[in-house]
Amino acid sequence: MAIDTSVAPAGRYVGQSIKRVEDPRLLMGKARFVDDLSLPGMVHASFVRSPHAHARIASIDASRALALDGVVAVYTGEDLANLRPLVSDGIAREELLAPPRMPLPVDKVRFVGEAVAVVVATCPYVAEDGRDLVDVTWESLPVVVDPKQALEPGAPLLHESLGTNNCAHIVGSAGDPARAFADADHVFTKRFSHGRSTGAPVGLRGVVAEYSQEGGGRFTIYPSSQMPHSLRGVVAESLGVSVGRVTIRVPDVGGAFGLTVTVFPEDIVVPELARRLGRPVKWVEDRWENLATSVHSKGMECTMDIAVDADGTFRAFRVHLITDAGAYSSKSSTPLCDSITAATMLPSVYAIDDASFTIDNPFTNKCHIGAIRGVGWEPGQLLRETAIDDIARALAMDPVELRLRNMIGPEPRRAAFGQTYDGGSYIKSLELARDEIGYATFRERQRALRTQGRYVGVGFSPFVEPTGWGTRSGHANGQPVNFFDSASVTMDPDGSVTVTTGLHSHGQGHATTFAQIAADELGVPFELIRVHYGDTDSAAFGMGTHSSRSAVVGTGSIMAAAGEVRGRLLELAAEMLEASPDDLELRDGQALVKGAPSKGVAIADVANFAYFGGDARTEAVERNGLTATSGYDPPETYANGCAAAIVEVDIETGEITLEQIVAVEDCGVVLNPMIVKGQVAGAVAMGIGIALLEDLVYDDTGEFVSGSLLHYLYPTTAEVPMMGLHSIETPSAVTVGGVKGVGEAGTISTPAAIVNAIADALSPFGVSIDRAPVTPMYIREVLRAAAGRAAVRPAG
Amino acid sequence: MSIEKREGPTLVQLKVNGETRSGIAEPRLLLSDFLRHTLGLTGTHVGCEQGVCGACTVLLDGEPARSCLTFAVQVAGSCVETVEGLAVDGRLAPIQEAFRSEHGLQCGFCTPGFLISADAFLDEHPEPSVDEIREHMSGNVCRCTGYQGIVAAVQKAAELRREAADGD
Amino acid sequence: MKPASFVYVAPDGLDEAVDALREYGADGKALAGGQSLVPMMNMRLARPSALVDITRIAELSGIRRNGRTAIGATTRQKDVLADPGLAVEFPVIRAALHNVGHAANRARGTFGGSVAHADPAAELPALMLALDAEMVIRGPDGERVVAADDFFITYYTTDLDVDELLAEVRLPPRAPSVWGFTEVARRRGDFALAGAVVTATTDAAGVVQSARVVLFGVTDRPVRAEGAEEALVGRRLDDGGIVREVAELAAEGVDYTSDVHVPGIYRREASVALVRRAIRQAASLLGG
Repeated sequence: MAIDTSVAPAGRYVGQSIKRVEDPRLLMGKARFVDDLSLPGMVHASFVRSPHAHARIASIDASRALALDGVVAVYTGEDLANLRPLVSDGIAREELLAPPRMPLPVDKVRFVGEAVAVVVATCPYVAEDGRDLVDVTWESLPVVVDPKQALEPGAPLLHESLGTNNCAHIVGSAGDPARAFADADHVFTKRFSHGRSTGAPVGLRGVVAEYSQEGGGRFTIYPSSQMPHSLRGVVAESLGVSVGRVTIRVPDVGGAFGLTVTVFPEDIVVPELARRLGRPVKWVEDRWENLATSVHSKGMECTMDIAVDADGTFRAFRVHLITDAGAYSSKSSTPLCDSITAATMLPSVYAIDDASFTIDNPFTNKCHIGAIRGVGWEPGQLLRETAIDDIARALAMDPVELRLRNMIGPEPRRAAFGQTYDGGSYIKSLELARDEIGYATFRERQRALRTQGRYVGVGFSPFVEPTGWGTRSGHANGQPVNFFDSASVTMDPDGSVTVTTGLHSHGQGHATTFAQIAADELGVPFELIRVHYGDTDSAAFGMGTHSSRSAVVGTGSIMAAAGEVRGRLLELAAEMLEASPDDLELRDGQALVKGAPSKGVAIADVANFAYFGGDARTEAVERNGLTATSGYDPPETYANGCAAAIVEVDIETGEITLEQIVAVEDCGVVLNPMIVKGQVAGAVAMGIGIALLEDLVYDDTGEFVSGSLLHYLYPTTAEVPMMGLHSIETPSAVTVGGVKGVGEAGTISTPAAIVNAIADALSPFGVSIDRAPVTPMYIREVLRAAAGRAAVRPAG
Repeated sequence: MSIEKREGPTLVQLKVNGETRSGIAEPRLLLSDFLRHTLGLTGTHVGCEQGVCGACTVLLDGEPARSCLTFAVQVAGSCVETVEGLAVDGRLAPIQEAFRSEHGLQCGFCTPGFLISADAFLDEHPEPSVDEIREHMSGNVCRCTGYQGIVAAVQKAAELRREAADGD
Repeated sequence: MKPASFVYVAPDGLDEAVDALREYGADGKALAGGQSLVPMMNMRLARPSALVDITRIAELSGIRRNGRTAIGATTRQKDVLADPGLAVEFPVIRAALHNVGHAANRARGTFGGSVAHADPAAELPALMLALDAEMVIRGPDGERVVAADDFFITYYTTDLDVDELLAEVRLPPRAPSVWGFTEVARRRGDFALAGAVVTATTDAAGVVQSARVVLFGVTDRPVRAEGAEEALVGRRLDDGGIVREVAELAAEGVDYTSDVHVPGIYRREASVALVRRAIRQAASLLGG
């Protein structure tokens, strides 16, 4: 069935801010997150973790732990040698090295917090007591924490068999950048050191697993996960069983932000323990483990060159990115999730045909990086947009005008590195952000405040981002991975509808938005739709929710499946009404003759007829009933928008106050405006954290020093102002319903707007902001250095 | 003058949401774990056990408290109120209605802590300004919403409570 | 993260509490609000074998006025904040408490608990120095009184012995006539990266008769800048010329902590700015 991309799915429900069906049980405290689960006979696991950044495991003695009353068992990597290693080879790029990773290592540890053994006990408190009694002896190895040092010959190797620490060295080129750089009037260089952050959902991640002898042995696993079917595949392989022997049943998840796109050792070990012990096993991380040992993100050393003509026309972009990859290549993101994404989207909203990139991905003795909201698009954005503001200052041009001069138009176009943008509102969103932040009067206010010794600044950050991630987006953006996603729609004999999907929801409200789509397509009341996901036994196959894909993939797959059911209903109704299906419409639970609404039949009656109408039914219905399953692998689709920020900087203490933030979002046709605004707001808040607060810090010995929420700083209501959120809807030219994805936008755009505002505030001092997060200490450092330079400048 | 001593598991009895409840607790058992696992009231959540995120907030003798920083044995005989006590006969309380109508929750994990904190705040500040709401609610962390819906929800709840009071 | 096992003891009398602390010695800890101690226990950084819950001891709680105002050690921070008498008499206390954690921490956290915990970046210990408060201590040998100047030794270390309790904090008979309080923290309620408290008593003409200038968050304990204090005596706080000089003086001679998160030079520069601002705050209160 051909996909009709011209018809927006707007109807009675789509486009409305329908209140979420998820809310009542969440509000009443009736949700079941992983730590709320309790199975009969369940025991608790606690992992013994390395205090060293790089060390050989000399010996592990569990005798004291085993002697403790309540400790049931202790396992080491040697005990679990039957498990197969995690190998991050899912991205089909020849440059990518894929060192295997045993769930529990037997030879050495490569970062502080890496698990080497697991204690199982009758309660979590005793499990921790047991953990403290496991005696491990270590042989220290040299540590490397600086990614540049990790690339140097002679650096300590994390994975000796590779002969290098560089997981991937990749170069890419478009047009003739060498010529463009040679010919340009100016070449500006920007260096940026991007901080290391993580998703840090408030909900702590965990796994509950049980094993039964049913059917030759099967695992039932209750993990915090955002991609149930993908997880199932990886876990089954590592456990050495077929996928059919594993059921993944995801409970409520307290936020993910990409964290559970990575598959972790605990995801493999806990089910294996359930098999060995013959009892259910539960493990839930604590906050230290979440910060130290789950997934890190975005730490990167960046150098960007921009070739510019004297009139401000950008000629070419060139970038070298060194990602601080951490100790392993995460399954399945690999370190490329940050570096290749930053590199391939470098041209962004600008008319650039000549560009090149070099990326290096060195392993370091830190927690591995993985896909976290915004991935490398955010550091790439921050690097480029701050470089552009530096250029504006150097050329004495207005930063908005400089961008408008170089911006692409709204039509679909091919970007330099091969992506196909499906049209957007690049210029319009920058202009709207400019107007909403009050730019017209800002400079005057800035001048007046400077005379009082106060420093305010404004910053802009227009962006374009890949959404609706699937096979085509992946390949076009440098990560060749193939996807399959589907949805299933079933109408029951009484007209109730169940939609199942291989996507997931952990805050995005898909049970509501997907029901809106199905309700409009089938013409039934919203309340009759139930959306089911997260259980691999009963939900249609899919690759989960991440990469801002669900609105696109969900709309396409559900409209297709519901569309098939709709077709069968229309045919049956036509029989019942002795009319032609083309003369009928489905609306408000009725199958009606268009233009003669009194002539109709209840859809529930049509459904009943479908099941129990015997020979009178159509052949299609007799064969397929009212169930349809449809896959959807979308074309590339790109959302866009613009963030703007005003800050005040206290030059004495370095404190930064975020006065105002504006976010313009164009994610195509909007399914539920309230939910879209919520996604943008949450993403903006995370962007504020990246710009000003969040950093996962290691000292020179590889000791992790950000292991509590007093060091890893969440933005709170005090740091996040009330935002100006604005929406533009430029329907995608190519997706079903014209829908684009949302979820990461505010995180990608906001840090650059804030850092630009800070640099703008401090422009009288001639400082360059080369680092994020921008802390009070860093502000003072750059001002001190500028004062020092001023002091040594010769007079006259 | 007396001295209570507890060593090893002992019985702890207290009032939770108006009902007398009891369970066995070692001294080190955190109130958060006692409520969740001993009493089965899993609506109160644990996000850090460091007293920072606020997900575990309950009312203890009428005041907001971090249940992850309190031992069950400390609160024997006290009154605890949790999120499970807000709705009456399945009807959402004004604070819960407000969070729903203003989209003040996404994944729902931090929500019980916010509801309890916000309700206690509104008891003492029935007509708060946006700045007061932002200042006061900074003791609870949300990672999903960006707080826009939460601040709006607290304003809305203040309005709903006023309406309910006027209607009496 | 779950704490290690301990014995829980809850006396309702002060003597019983002291006896219990003596019994457990260095392995025992007093438990008041728990807002500082329990996070450390949950992370297993502190593993006392016994906790002596002192919150049931009536005489340790409450604000008493007997010629001088005294705050019982286990008075909840929230109650100190709400006390109308203190708000009028010692408004600097409220200013400090507004920066201590969040409402839920202050509902349980105690005034004396924070003082005795002696985190160098905490507000209340600095306040004690700025007010020249007296620490009333109860131990096996009875009661003794230690001036705030002599109470804070170094990180998390006070003059309290393992079998002693801080029973109450006695404020001076006369409150300072003016005060300033300011700090820099990464977020509202977080521990200070640097902070300054200035208190001064002035005569009718606004001339400083005595002053205290205290820095906190910058070294291993709150410290008085005695050179700065001397420089203020005999001057007016709104004398623009001296403010800069005094602030620079205040920053001298402090061994600024440098760690992987914050370099010492930041703390030093911030101290200068914060003392200047605290003096200006105090000056704005001159003349009623």
